[in-house]
Amino acid sequence: MLLAVAAAPLAVACTTEPPAPPPPDPLSALAAQARTDAALARTLTTVPAASEIAKARETHAALLQAEVDRERPPLSSTAPPVPTTPPTPPDPVAALRTALDGAVREASAAVASLPSHRAGLVGSVAAGCASLREVLA
Amino acid sequence: MNVDAVQTALGTEHAALWTYGMVSAFLGNQAAAVAEGVTAHRARRDTTERWLRDQGATPAPPAAAYLPPSPVSDGPSALAALVAVEQDTCAAWRGVLERTDDPALRTSALESLTAAAVRATRWRKVAGATPASITMPGVASG
Repeated sequence: MLLAVAAAPLAVACTTEPPAPPPPDPLSALAAQARTDAALARTLTTVPAASEIAKARETHAALLQAEVDRERPPLSSTAPPVPTTPPTPPDPVAALRTALDGAVREASAAVASLPSHRAGLVGSVAAGCASLREVLA
Repeated sequence: MNVDAVQTALGTEHAALWTYGMVSAFLGNQAAAVAEGVTAHRARRDTTERWLRDQGATPAPPAAAYLPPSPVSDGPSALAALVAVEQDTCAAWRGVLERTDDPALRTSALESLTAAAVRATRWRKVAGATPASITMPGVASG
């Protein structure tokens, strides 16, 4: 009887769920999107602004990833996966436009719910993508 | 804190309006784009003044004159002054984004930052600057 009472709290402790893993950092998705855009732009050598776009999106990816790693240091020094080279789309300019429109939209949407110290960074990324979009206009 | 950042942003809107007025004489071939910039900054100035009054603050008045980073005497220097004032506007609105949790103010600050970045890019394109884009609008090095 005594044993059963003593064991009861232990049983509870053992069945307690492990803490859920923290939700993914929203900046991770934005960094991945920036890397994908850069990879796409790198392949579209026929578009005059493509290398400018690739360089800018690589900078965005690096800044966003640095903030992700600062807040939650990675367990190992594994670099984020490099996106595979996408197939060349039939209309390269249209593909870049679509990618940048998406980037403006996603970054702008994220600004609303971020803590203020991150809102400036992501706001500049959104505005930077709008600037790139204007170059293609 | 919010209010100070918004007053700074209002100051750049005043400076932008003054600059657009000053350069218009040198940019006759860009009259439509100049007019568009004036309209946008005027609307932003009015919204910003309203927001400040709603907070019980007195909107800062415009200065009598502003000093562009370099003298304006022709088309290229006029374009440079517009790019500079739009970049200042970007920095001021980014400053607001970093200092507020108010969703409506954040939305408005992001719109202002983005619109100024697009206008700065447009003027850089007209000036033939490369790259025309601004990678991180609102950041001194960007």
